[in-house]
Amino acid sequence: MTEIILWVSVQELCQCGGFTEQIIAEAVDHGIAQPADGDNITDWVFDTTTVHWLRKAVRLHHDLEIDWIAISMVVDLLQKNEALEKQSRCFEKQLNRFVN
Amino acid sequence: MDFKDYYQLLGVSEDSDSKDIKTAYRKLARKYHPDMNPDPGAEDKFKEVAEAYEVLKDAGRRAEYDELRQHGNRQGAGFEPPPNWQRSGGFSDADSTRFEGDFSDFFNSMFRGGGTEAGQQTRGSRGQDAEIEIPIFLEETATETSKLVEYQIPVYENGQVKDVKKSLKVKIPAGIVDGERVRLKGQGGYGQGDAPHGDLYLHIRLVPHPLFDVEGHNLVITVPLAPWEAALGAKVTVPTLTGKIHLTIAPNSQAGARLRIKGKGMKTKTGTGDMFALLKVVVPASANDEVKDLWQSLSEKTEFDPRAQWSNAS
Repeated sequence: MTEIILWVSVQELCQCGGFTEQIIAEAVDHGIAQPADGDNITDWVFDTTTVHWLRKAVRLHHDLEIDWIAISMVVDLLQKNEALEKQSRCFEKQLNRFVN
Repeated sequence: MDFKDYYQLLGVSEDSDSKDIKTAYRKLARKYHPDMNPDPGAEDKFKEVAEAYEVLKDAGRRAEYDELRQHGNRQGAGFEPPPNWQRSGGFSDADSTRFEGDFSDFFNSMFRGGGTEAGQQTRGSRGQDAEIEIPIFLEETATETSKLVEYQIPVYENGQVKDVKKSLKVKIPAGIVDGERVRLKGQGGYGQGDAPHGDLYLHIRLVPHPLFDVEGHNLVITVPLAPWEAALGAKVTVPTLTGKIHLTIAPNSQAGARLRIKGKGMKTKTGTGDMFALLKVVVPASANDEVKDLWQSLSEKTEFDPRAQWSNAS
């Protein structure tokens, strides 16, 4: 049985995700990532979904050459868009159940 | 190996200045970046554009490329660099910020000093992370469950890429939610040499349920009622994720009303959600003469205007 991991430390993010502490701190400063636990950077723990959004943020930062404030807005909008799409699918399903 | 016309890819002329090249790249990057554009093919298009920009943004690399281009334009199908051509400045993987440096054979041969494989090896090290979607049934989220995960990982062997099938049994904890990602350490792409393997991320997807809809950690079930059940009230047996409950429908209930059933939602890491019964009134599709008479009698004896709001509004 392979154990799954739900949390990831800053050290692991740097080792496995290829991020630097500076990038992680920038991402937290701009609200792109929120530590689930820990008071300072060495103690911070994130959920594993953070890796996905951090990667996206770093890619956008490099690929589109935009600053962290813009990235945080883009990520926020992407997350909102994802949530709205999910909600829309859910409402559509509920509506179908209601009218059929 | 095919020659790449980077000017054409960016839609700029060969005498464009660096500002024009940057503007063209940014415009195309916004359009095709796979994080912004989910269309199939957008990622490949972006990689081409990023590769073109990687070369043309750097004056030294651009000069080398212009030399190659003059040679390349004189050739027919297939491209071979001029016999005396040597890359000078070179391209280190540290430069390769765009899309993880996943560039064409042409780029790798001309600017990295090797083919695809050599290009990959200079990146060296750790295997790539992989992500797959894993479907989970709603019922499976209530308790810890084990799942067999089957996936393919590309492996580089003797200069060739081949897919290796892997299967793992994984323990999915109770309270997992749709869209969550969990990590399996070292189960991704193989590292080169002694380098560690990448990780595998499982992207949790809840399978649509025939009865329940999910809203966050709450469940919604649509409860069909006969008109007389809605009018007179009723006791209805309603399925939950773990069994059944008896739900009391109050007299004069309206279609669309949501009744909260506490603690019958999904189990999450922070607690258990609620279930909502969404009432729906269903009229029989057909009626015999006796039933028709009853409806008729009801309509004559009831003073009820379902469209009263319309007259108030007009």
